[in-house]
Amino acid sequence: MSFNGYKDLIVEGESVILYLTINQFYILEAKTTTLSKKGVVVQNIFQTPYGSLACGDLIGKKYGTKIQLKKGWAYILQPTPEFWTELLPHRTQIIYTPDISMILLCLELKPTSIVIESGTGSGSLSHAIIRKIKPSGHLYTFDFHETRVDIARNEFKEHGLSQYVTVQTRDVCTDGFGKDLEGKADSVFLDLPQPWLAATFTSQVFKRGGGRLCSFSPCVEQVQKMCSALTNLGYQEIQTMEVLQSQFAIQKKKMSILNLDMLKTSNNKETVKNEKEFSNFITSVAPNTLPGHTGYLTLLLFHQHM
Amino acid sequence: MEETIKVGDYIIVQRQNYTKLHKLKGHGTILLGSFNIEMDNCIGERYFDTFQIKNVPNSKRNYTLEKIENLSLVSSNLNVEESGNDNRNIEADDNNQTMSSEEINKMKDEELSSNNIVEKLISNSKTFSTKTGFSQEKYIKKKSKKYCEYIQIRRPSIRLMAQMFYRQDPAKILGIRIDDLSQILTYSNIQSEGTHVLYDSGTSGLMSAALMETIGPNTTGKLIHMHPGNECQKVAFLAMEYPEEQRKRCINVNLYSVLRQFYQGNPGEGDSIEPNEQSSNAENQVTEEPDAKRRKVERPNWQVDNEEACELLKKGVHSIVITAKEHPVNIVDALEPFLLPSRNLVVFSTFKEPLEELYFHLKTKLNYLAVKLSTNFMRNYQVLPERTHPEVNMTNGGYLLTGIKIEQ
Repeated sequence: MSFNGYKDLIVEGESVILYLTINQFYILEAKTTTLSKKGVVVQNIFQTPYGSLACGDLIGKKYGTKIQLKKGWAYILQPTPEFWTELLPHRTQIIYTPDISMILLCLELKPTSIVIESGTGSGSLSHAIIRKIKPSGHLYTFDFHETRVDIARNEFKEHGLSQYVTVQTRDVCTDGFGKDLEGKADSVFLDLPQPWLAATFTSQVFKRGGGRLCSFSPCVEQVQKMCSALTNLGYQEIQTMEVLQSQFAIQKKKMSILNLDMLKTSNNKETVKNEKEFSNFITSVAPNTLPGHTGYLTLLLFHQHM
Repeated sequence: MEETIKVGDYIIVQRQNYTKLHKLKGHGTILLGSFNIEMDNCIGERYFDTFQIKNVPNSKRNYTLEKIENLSLVSSNLNVEESGNDNRNIEADDNNQTMSSEEINKMKDEELSSNNIVEKLISNSKTFSTKTGFSQEKYIKKKSKKYCEYIQIRRPSIRLMAQMFYRQDPAKILGIRIDDLSQILTYSNIQSEGTHVLYDSGTSGLMSAALMETIGPNTTGKLIHMHPGNECQKVAFLAMEYPEEQRKRCINVNLYSVLRQFYQGNPGEGDSIEPNEQSSNAENQVTEEPDAKRRKVERPNWQVDNEEACELLKKGVHSIVITAKEHPVNIVDALEPFLLPSRNLVVFSTFKEPLEELYFHLKTKLNYLAVKLSTNFMRNYQVLPERTHPEVNMTNGGYLLTGIKIEQ
């Protein structure tokens, strides 16, 4: 339930972020017991590098507080879509926060929007869309992979988001989006290997007056094919872009300053040796390797007068 | 949303890639490049309609609008008969175009028609027919853009305004590029509920507009918008034309004034307020002389807003966003005590160095984790058959520092 709105205290069954360090954080369920691999009810114990944690103990604790582990401590935080993107079990290639942010803004989503997404994939983008469109909007998300659909549906339920989302098994490239959605949507998002096949069905789903579409593709060829398909369908204002984020490591650095002036004269040898000079400064270092490509975002407008 | 363009609406006038925000008045004009255009003919028409800029007879540089019913006329329909294979025979020469700029301007003043002008330019160009097909297309596109006589009227959106302000002058919005804005909205974890704090020292109202759009209509979310000046900037906020109940949930307060109120209580109950605030709220204070009874009951609006903001601050807030010209450390120190545990702080700056200082401040003096400093590389692409490549120009964004508050 913990993805729906702001919560103060951990309620039984909620997902909780256990934060140790910037590279060590986990998602777990605040439940006293769990099912083992063999299907037996066992105590829900989570192993961390700082010792084990009985997850049931978290119930009733306040989000944002510190908890003691055997060999150190950790913090418990309420999950956000951004944490989920970092932690979700990958079933497909996923979309990350910099692209997600751009998609949400450029699709002009608000708490009343009706959105169509395909494919659902691992549900990384879906969680962020839901945060943006609740309480009055709704997300219809499709994937042709039945197991993925079931897992995603289950996750939305566990995260307390079911009322804002409908997940369906459907190959939108061959079957379109269904009669029920005709004239319903404000925005459409496509992340498909051959998005132009689904594109032909998109013009029917928009509300009277039109809406916005975004297509995410990793390859230039896909983008080219998609752009010409959409132009033929009457889409306007095609804009293709990429966004890459780099994070800095911020460091305090110390650099020794060599005194070379003293070489010009023969005296004062000793005093100079003792006075070693340093320059202290703060700097941010970009990582040696960083994501150089995720995908191209193509954004368009569909408009028709009523 | 209603589709009809009305007097009083904020509209975005779009000519090719150029956009301009405009408040529509009766008998008003807009200056678009060198054109002075009377806007009356778009009133009563619908958003997304296309209009042709038409010369007003017997006047120089005065234009009026005429609605285009048949959009197929808008696209350029010039026929190119001959083209070359490559540019081996083309020399750069000012005399390639035999028409003078006076002649072109005269055409513009007589009848603005990009098709006619471009046709004339082509027939008077010595080199056009030897250019390659691609090159000819580019030439026509470039020239039609320059003499384009069509505009479209759009309803403002956060996306359109963010792009428009940035293109006009990044300084108008503190250099917040659209990708920066998009990430401020996600990393703050702002949603339709809760109380949110924005300190904004001047983004033409874009930040308060964007946060209020995320909070949405008919929800419980509230925004305390703190600003440093006498009045907050709010063009973009007004342009969004939010319904009244939504507008009311954005409480605009002066940063100094609200903090003094929070720590020292109501002014007038002993303390005198500073000249800065007196002048800032002069408008509200110099109302007509009410009788003595009413004066006691009615407090100035700014004080009511301050009190409402203080009540909310006491309960704690669910996100803090800072887009400031000033150094962020003191602002964070003043505002972060109101942030609830497990909630996010997002600070934007055009410069990296102040955020580096803030980083160490958060790590050593305050209780924050997952503190990150990031920047983006963003570029746009031209996508055309056989001519796909990144756009020739690109821009620089700013820096974002994000962190999560914890309870010690």
